Amino acid sequence: MARLVGVFAASHGPVIARDWDSLSPPTRILVEQGFDKVGQQLMMTRPDVLIIVSPDHWCNFFLNNFPAFCVGIGDEHDGPPEPFLKTRFNHPVLAGHAGLGRHILDTALERDFDPSLSHRLTLDHGFCLPLWRMGIDPVPPIVPIVINEVDPPMPTMRRCLAWGSLLKQAIESYPQDLRVAVLATGGLSHFIGEPGMGQIDERFDRTCIELFENGDPVKIAATLEHDVRHTGNGGHEVRNWVVAHAAAGNQGFELLSYAPLEEIYVGCAFAQWRVAG
Amino acid sequence: MADYWLNKLFFDLQQPALSSEYKKDRETVLSRYPMSGELRRAVLADDLVALAPHVNAYLLRFYFAILGVKDQEFIRRLNELPGTAKSKEQASNHG
Repeated sequence: MARLVGVFAASHGPVIARDWDSLSPPTRILVEQGFDKVGQQLMMTRPDVLIIVSPDHWCNFFLNNFPAFCVGIGDEHDGPPEPFLKTRFNHPVLAGHAGLGRHILDTALERDFDPSLSHRLTLDHGFCLPLWRMGIDPVPPIVPIVINEVDPPMPTMRRCLAWGSLLKQAIESYPQDLRVAVLATGGLSHFIGEPGMGQIDERFDRTCIELFENGDPVKIAATLEHDVRHTGNGGHEVRNWVVAHAAAGNQGFELLSYAPLEEIYVGCAFAQWRVAG
Repeated sequence: MADYWLNKLFFDLQQPALSSEYKKDRETVLSRYPMSGELRRAVLADDLVALAPHVNAYLLRFYFAILGVKDQEFIRRLNELPGTAKSKEQASNHG
C-alpha cells in the first residue's frame, strides 16, 4: 500500500522568480534559507510521488468554469507559462501520476465529494516556483490539486479540512507500494492587485502559525473562516495549508521559518507537519 | 460588480500574440469584447480606479504588468482607490 511520508508547506510569489537577481541580499537569504530547509526535509522523505496543492492563477480556469477543487489525473502536465519562470525552471512538461490521481478522484466520488478533474493542467508559479527554489531534481511525478483561492465564492475552511482528510484516506488506500509526500504552497498574508499591496499582515500570519502548531481543526476552521475575510486576497491561499493540516492527521506542524517580506509582497513561511501513522 | 467581458479581456491578454496586437491597436481588440461604453473608456484611459471594482484583482495586476507599469507605480495607483485607508486599518485590526 502507499504511505504518506511527509506533509509540507512553502510560500510562493512570482516576484521571487521575476526579480531574483535584484532582490536585496537580506530578502534573498531569507527566501533561500526557507526553501532550502523545506526542500531538504521533503527530499529526506524520498517521495515516489508528490501531491502539490496550489491555486491556479488564471492559467487553467476562467469565469466560464471555475472548480472549487480540481485533481490532475494525467500522465503529463505542462510546465509554467510565466516567461520569468520558464527560463529558471526549464520543464516544459512535468510527469504526472495518473494512477494515484485517478484513485484520489475515485475515492472522493465514493465518499460524496465531487471535485473537477483534468487530464492535463498547466502548472503555474504556484506549483513550479517552490520546486525551482527547492532545487528538486529530478522532480518526482506530480499529482496537482487546484483549489479556487483567486475568485469568490471559495470553498470553506471546513471543506478544506474534509478534503485533506479524504486525501489522507486516498493515499493510504492506494494499492501500489509508493512513498507519497504532500506540498501545500502559497500564503501566508499578501495583497495582490488591491490596496495594501506590499504590506504584510503579520498578525494574520502569526495567528495561522499558532493555529497550525496547536493542531485543533475545529479552531482552525472557525478562526480562519473569519480572519481570511479581513486580510489581503492572497491570504485565501491558507486553504492549501488547511488541506495539508488535515492530510497529516491534524497533529500540528513545526514551523521551519517565517519572515514578513514586503519586498516580495508575501508573509513568507515554510513548515513541516507531524504525520500521523 | 464584476464585468465578465472586462475580466475576459484581461484574461485573454495573457496570450503574447493578443497582447502584442493590443499594444498596437487597442480599439480593434476592444471591439471584440462587448463591455459598456463607460468601461471601454476606462480601459482606454488606463483608469485603474474605475476598472478595479469590475475586475478580479489578480487580473488587474496582470493587465497593468502587461502594459509595462512598474509595481511601484501600480501600488501608488491602487492606493488612490476609495476606502484604501479603511481596508488597511481592517487588515491590521482583525482577529
